[in-house]
Amino acid sequence: MLSCKQVAALASDYLDRNSLDNNTQLKWQIRLHLLMCANCRRFVRHLKITQQVGAGITKHASPQDAEMVWKKLQAHIKEETQSKQK
Amino acid sequence: MIDNERELIAQLMKGDDYAFRRLIAQYHSLMLNIARAIAGDTFADDVVQEAWVSVYRNIVNFEQRSSLKTWLLTIVSNQAKARLRKESRQVSLDQLDGETPGSYLDGTHFKKNGHWQQSVPRWNNESPESLLEEQQLQRCINRTLDLLPSAQKAAFILRDIEQQSFDDICNILSVSAANVRVLVHRARLTLMQVIDRYQETGSC
Repeated sequence: MLSCKQVAALASDYLDRNSLDNNTQLKWQIRLHLLMCANCRRFVRHLKITQQVGAGITKHASPQDAEMVWKKLQAHIKEETQSKQK
Repeated sequence: MIDNERELIAQLMKGDDYAFRRLIAQYHSLMLNIARAIAGDTFADDVVQEAWVSVYRNIVNFEQRSSLKTWLLTIVSNQAKARLRKESRQVSLDQLDGETPGSYLDGTHFKKNGHWQQSVPRWNNESPESLLEEQQLQRCINRTLDLLPSAQKAAFILRDIEQQSFDDICNILSVSAANVRVLVHRARLTLMQVIDRYQETGSC
Protein backbone atom coordinates (compact mmCIF):
# COMPACT_ATOMS: atom_id res chain seq x y z
CA MET A 1 0.00 0.00 0.00
CA LEU A 2 1.42 3.38 -1.02
CA SER A 3 1.80 6.11 1.58
CA CYS A 4 0.47 9.66 1.09
CA LYS A 5 4.05 10.84 0.80
CA GLN A 6 4.70 8.43 -2.07
CA VAL A 7 1.49 9.43 -3.81
CA ALA A 8 2.45 13.12 -3.49
CA ALA A 9 5.83 12.37 -5.06
CA LEU A 10 4.23 10.43 -7.93
CA ALA A 11 1.32 12.79 -8.52
CA SER A 12 2.76 14.52 -11.62
CA ASP A 13 3.58 11.18 -13.24
CA TYR A 14 0.04 10.09 -12.48
CA LEU A 15 -1.39 13.22 -14.14
CA ASP A 16 0.88 13.17 -17.18
CA ARG A 17 -0.73 10.82 -19.59
CA ASN A 18 1.35 7.89 -20.79
CA SER A 19 4.08 8.28 -18.23
CA LEU A 20 2.85 5.35 -16.13
CA ASP A 21 1.67 3.32 -19.11
CA ASN A 22 4.36 0.72 -18.69
CA ASN A 23 3.71 0.50 -14.99
CA THR A 24 0.05 -0.44 -14.74
CA GLN A 25 0.53 -1.88 -11.31
CA LEU A 26 1.76 1.41 -9.90
CA LYS A 27 -1.08 3.27 -11.60
CA TRP A 28 -3.61 0.99 -9.94
CA GLN A 29 -1.90 1.32 -6.59
CA ILE A 30 -2.24 5.10 -6.84
CA ARG A 31 -5.89 4.78 -7.88
CA LEU A 32 -6.59 2.51 -4.97
CA HIS A 33 -4.96 4.95 -2.57
CA LEU A 34 -6.96 7.85 -4.03
CA LEU A 35 -10.20 5.92 -3.60
CA MET A 36 -9.54 5.75 0.10
CA CYS A 37 -7.74 9.01 0.84
CA ALA A 38 -9.58 12.35 0.63
CA ASN A 39 -6.42 14.37 1.31
CA CYS A 40 -4.53 12.85 -1.58
CA ARG A 41 -7.57 13.22 -3.83
CA ARG A 42 -7.60 16.94 -3.02
CA PHE A 43 -3.84 17.15 -3.48
CA VAL A 44 -3.95 15.55 -6.93
CA ARG A 45 -6.94 17.69 -7.92
CA HIS A 46 -5.11 20.85 -6.84
CA LEU A 47 -1.99 19.77 -8.71
CA LYS A 48 -4.04 19.35 -11.86
CA ILE A 49 -5.57 22.81 -11.42
CA THR A 50 -2.06 24.21 -10.86
CA GLN A 51 -0.95 22.62 -14.10
CA GLN A 52 -3.89 24.16 -15.95
CA VAL A 53 -3.31 27.58 -14.41
CA GLY A 54 0.42 27.32 -15.20
CA ALA A 55 -0.37 26.48 -18.81
CA GLY A 56 -2.26 29.75 -19.14
CA ILE A 57 0.63 31.94 -18.02
CA THR A 58 2.07 34.02 -20.83
CA LYS A 59 5.72 34.95 -20.82
CA HIS A 60 6.67 37.26 -23.64
CA ALA A 61 9.57 39.66 -23.81
CA SER A 62 8.67 43.28 -23.12
CA PRO A 63 8.50 45.43 -26.29
CA GLN A 64 11.55 47.36 -25.05
CA ASP A 65 13.62 44.19 -24.61
CA ALA A 66 12.58 42.86 -27.99
CA GLU A 67 13.50 46.16 -29.65
CA MET A 68 16.89 46.14 -27.92
CA VAL A 69 17.62 42.60 -29.13
CA TRP A 70 16.62 43.60 -32.66
CA LYS A 71 18.92 46.67 -32.63
CA LYS A 72 21.88 44.63 -31.37
CA LEU A 73 21.20 42.03 -34.03
CA GLN A 74 21.17 44.68 -36.74
CA ALA A 75 24.41 46.18 -35.45
CA HIS A 76 26.03 42.76 -35.38
CA ILE A 77 25.01 41.92 -38.95
CA LYS A 78 26.17 45.32 -40.19
CA GLU A 79 29.52 44.93 -38.49
CA GLU A 80 30.05 41.47 -39.98
CA THR A 81 29.13 42.63 -43.46
CA GLN A 82 31.51 45.57 -43.23
CA SER A 83 34.42 43.47 -41.97
CA LYS A 84 33.86 41.05 -44.84
CA GLN A 85 34.00 43.88 -47.36
CA LYS A 86 37.33 45.13 -46.01
CA MET B 1 -2.38 28.95 -35.81
CA ILE B 2 -0.54 26.65 -38.23
CA ASP B 3 -1.48 28.84 -41.20
CA ASN B 4 -0.32 31.78 -39.18
CA GLU B 5 3.03 30.10 -38.68
CA ARG B 6 3.35 29.29 -42.38
CA GLU B 7 2.64 32.88 -43.21
CA LEU B 8 5.17 34.08 -40.65
CA ILE B 9 7.84 31.73 -42.01
CA ALA B 10 7.18 32.91 -45.56
CA GLN B 11 7.58 36.53 -44.46
CA LEU B 12 10.75 35.71 -42.53
CA MET B 13 12.25 33.96 -45.55
CA LYS B 14 11.54 37.02 -47.66
CA GLY B 15 13.60 39.00 -45.18
CA ASP B 16 10.68 40.92 -43.70
CA ASP B 17 12.16 42.81 -40.74
CA TYR B 18 8.81 43.45 -39.15
CA ALA B 19 8.16 39.69 -39.08
CA PHE B 20 11.55 39.12 -37.49
CA ARG B 21 10.80 41.63 -34.76
CA ARG B 22 7.54 39.81 -34.08
CA LEU B 23 9.50 36.58 -33.80
CA ILE B 24 11.84 38.13 -31.24
CA ALA B 25 8.96 39.53 -29.20
CA GLN B 26 7.30 36.13 -29.16
CA TYR B 27 10.25 33.85 -28.41
CA HIS B 28 13.02 35.85 -26.80
CA SER B 29 11.90 35.27 -23.24
CA LEU B 30 11.51 31.52 -23.81
CA MET B 31 14.94 31.28 -25.41
CA LEU B 32 16.50 33.23 -22.58
CA ASN B 33 15.09 30.76 -20.08
CA ILE B 34 16.56 27.84 -22.00
CA ALA B 35 19.95 29.53 -22.25
CA ARG B 36 19.95 30.30 -18.52
CA ALA B 37 19.15 26.72 -17.65
CA ILE B 38 21.95 25.33 -19.81
CA ALA B 39 24.72 27.92 -19.75
CA GLY B 40 23.89 29.88 -16.60
CA ASP B 41 22.94 33.53 -16.04
CA THR B 42 26.37 34.90 -16.93
CA PHE B 43 26.33 33.76 -20.55
CA ALA B 44 22.61 33.57 -21.24
CA ASP B 45 22.13 37.02 -22.79
CA ASP B 46 25.12 36.53 -25.06
CA VAL B 47 24.06 33.07 -26.06
CA VAL B 48 20.59 34.20 -27.07
CA GLN B 49 21.94 37.17 -28.98
CA GLU B 50 24.21 34.79 -30.91
CA ALA B 51 21.27 32.46 -31.45
CA TRP B 52 19.27 35.30 -33.01
CA VAL B 53 22.12 36.06 -35.39
CA SER B 54 22.15 32.41 -36.39
CA VAL B 55 18.37 32.39 -36.84
CA TYR B 56 18.56 35.55 -38.96
CA ARG B 57 21.22 34.06 -41.20
CA ASN B 58 19.69 30.61 -41.52
CA ILE B 59 15.98 31.20 -41.72
CA VAL B 60 16.20 31.01 -45.55
CA ASN B 61 17.41 27.42 -45.17
CA PHE B 62 14.73 26.42 -42.67
CA GLU B 63 13.24 23.26 -44.16
CA GLN B 64 10.19 23.14 -41.91
CA ARG B 65 10.74 19.54 -40.90
CA SER B 66 9.97 20.66 -37.36
CA SER B 67 7.86 23.52 -36.05
CA LEU B 68 9.44 26.95 -35.99
CA LYS B 69 9.45 26.86 -32.20
CA THR B 70 11.30 23.54 -32.05
CA TRP B 71 13.83 24.83 -34.56
CA LEU B 72 14.45 27.97 -32.48
CA LEU B 73 14.76 25.94 -29.28
CA THR B 74 17.27 23.60 -30.91
CA ILE B 75 19.39 26.52 -32.09
CA VAL B 76 19.51 28.21 -28.69
CA SER B 77 20.12 24.89 -26.95
CA ASN B 78 23.07 24.05 -29.24
CA GLN B 79 24.43 27.56 -28.91
CA ALA B 80 24.24 27.35 -25.10
CA LYS B 81 25.87 23.91 -24.97
CA ALA B 82 28.67 25.10 -27.27
CA ARG B 83 29.24 28.08 -25.02
CA LEU B 84 29.39 25.86 -21.98
CA ARG B 85 31.99 23.64 -23.66
CA LYS B 86 34.00 26.69 -24.69
CA GLU B 87 34.04 27.90 -21.10
CA SER B 88 34.91 24.30 -20.22
CA ARG B 89 32.53 24.30 -17.36
CA GLN B 90 31.22 20.82 -16.96
CA VAL B 91 28.16 21.75 -15.00
CA SER B 92 25.39 19.35 -15.83
CA LEU B 93 21.76 20.01 -15.21
CA ASP B 94 21.58 16.45 -14.06
CA GLN B 95 23.01 17.72 -10.83
CA LEU B 96 19.51 18.67 -9.82
CA ASP B 97 18.72 21.79 -7.88
CA GLY B 98 18.25 20.70 -4.30
CA GLU B 99 14.90 20.32 -2.65
CA THR B 100 13.39 23.67 -1.73
CA PRO B 101 12.93 23.93 2.04
CA GLY B 102 9.24 24.08 2.97
CA SER B 103 8.28 22.35 -0.26
CA TYR B 104 5.59 19.70 -0.31
CA LEU B 105 8.23 17.01 -0.62
CA ASP B 106 10.70 18.07 2.04
CA GLY B 107 9.26 15.77 4.68
CA THR B 108 7.74 18.27 7.09
CA HIS B 109 4.33 17.79 5.51
CA PHE B 110 4.29 14.10 6.39
CA LYS B 111 4.33 11.98 9.52
CA LYS B 112 6.89 9.21 9.95
CA ASN B 113 4.42 6.68 8.59
CA GLY B 114 4.00 8.72 5.38
CA HIS B 115 0.55 10.13 6.20
CA TRP B 116 -0.21 13.82 5.83
CA GLN B 117 0.83 15.83 8.89
CA GLN B 118 -2.14 18.14 8.37
CA SER B 119 -5.02 17.95 5.96
CA VAL B 120 -4.36 19.36 2.48
CA PRO B 121 -5.70 22.94 2.47
CA ARG B 122 -9.08 23.46 0.84
CA TRP B 123 -9.47 25.93 -2.01
CA ASN B 124 -12.54 28.13 -2.37
CA ASN B 125 -11.90 28.55 -6.05
CA GLU B 126 -11.15 25.40 -8.00
CA SER B 127 -11.79 26.76 -11.48
CA PRO B 128 -8.60 27.17 -13.53
CA GLU B 129 -10.36 29.62 -15.87
CA SER B 130 -11.43 31.96 -13.13
CA LEU B 131 -8.10 31.63 -11.30
CA LEU B 132 -6.36 32.73 -14.48
CA GLU B 133 -8.42 35.89 -14.47
CA GLU B 134 -7.11 36.88 -11.05
CA GLN B 135 -4.46 39.53 -11.79
CA GLN B 136 -2.93 39.34 -8.33
CA LEU B 137 -2.47 35.59 -8.61
CA GLN B 138 -0.85 36.00 -12.03
CA ARG B 139 1.63 38.43 -10.49
CA CYS B 140 2.33 36.02 -7.62
CA ILE B 141 2.92 33.13 -10.02
CA ASN B 142 5.16 35.16 -12.32
CA ARG B 143 7.20 36.35 -9.37
CA THR B 144 7.59 32.81 -8.08
CA LEU B 145 8.53 31.50 -11.52
CA ASP B 146 11.34 34.02 -11.66
CA LEU B 147 12.64 32.78 -8.31
CA LEU B 148 12.70 29.11 -9.31
CA PRO B 149 16.12 27.52 -9.97
CA SER B 150 16.78 27.93 -13.70
CA ALA B 151 16.58 24.22 -14.56
CA GLN B 152 13.19 23.87 -12.86
CA LYS B 153 11.94 27.02 -14.51
CA ALA B 154 13.02 25.95 -18.00
CA ALA B 155 11.61 22.43 -17.59
CA PHE B 156 8.31 23.83 -16.30
CA ILE B 157 8.00 26.41 -19.08
CA LEU B 158 8.83 23.86 -21.77
CA ARG B 159 6.42 21.29 -20.43
CA ASP B 160 3.43 23.13 -18.98
CA ILE B 161 3.46 26.41 -20.88
CA GLU B 162 4.97 25.38 -24.22
CA GLN B 163 3.54 21.83 -24.10
CA GLN B 164 6.71 20.21 -25.46
CA SER B 165 7.07 16.44 -25.25
CA PHE B 166 9.31 14.94 -22.57
CA ASP B 167 11.59 13.58 -25.32
CA ASP B 168 12.07 17.03 -26.83
CA ILE B 169 12.72 18.55 -23.41
CA CYS B 170 15.36 15.88 -22.68
CA ASN B 171 17.14 16.81 -25.92
CA ILE B 172 16.87 20.55 -25.49
CA LEU B 173 18.12 20.56 -21.90
CA SER B 174 20.32 17.43 -22.09
CA VAL B 175 18.71 16.02 -18.99
CA SER B 176 17.47 12.47 -18.48
CA ALA B 177 13.75 11.85 -18.80
CA ALA B 178 13.48 10.94 -15.13
CA ASN B 179 15.09 14.20 -14.12
CA VAL B 180 12.90 16.31 -16.38
CA ARG B 181 9.92 14.77 -14.61
CA VAL B 182 11.38 15.59 -11.21
CA LEU B 183 12.13 19.18 -12.23
CA VAL B 184 8.62 19.73 -13.59
CA HIS B 185 7.03 18.14 -10.53
CA ARG B 186 9.01 20.36 -8.15
CA ALA B 187 8.10 23.49 -10.06
CA ARG B 188 4.41 22.54 -10.03
CA LEU B 189 4.47 21.89 -6.30
CA THR B 190 6.01 25.30 -5.66
CA LEU B 191 3.34 26.98 -7.77
CA MET B 192 0.68 24.93 -6.01
CA GLN B 193 1.84 26.40 -2.73
CA VAL B 194 1.54 29.88 -4.23
CA ILE B 195 -2.09 29.07 -5.04
CA ASP B 196 -2.56 27.58 -1.53
CA ARG B 197 -1.44 30.86 -0.02
CA TYR B 198 -3.43 32.93 -2.47
CA GLN B 199 -6.62 31.01 -1.69
CA GLU B 200 -6.08 31.60 2.00
CA THR B 201 -4.91 35.21 2.04
CA GLY B 202 -5.67 36.72 -1.36
CA SER B 203 -2.02 37.64 -1.83
CA CYS B 204 1.43 36.07 -2.28
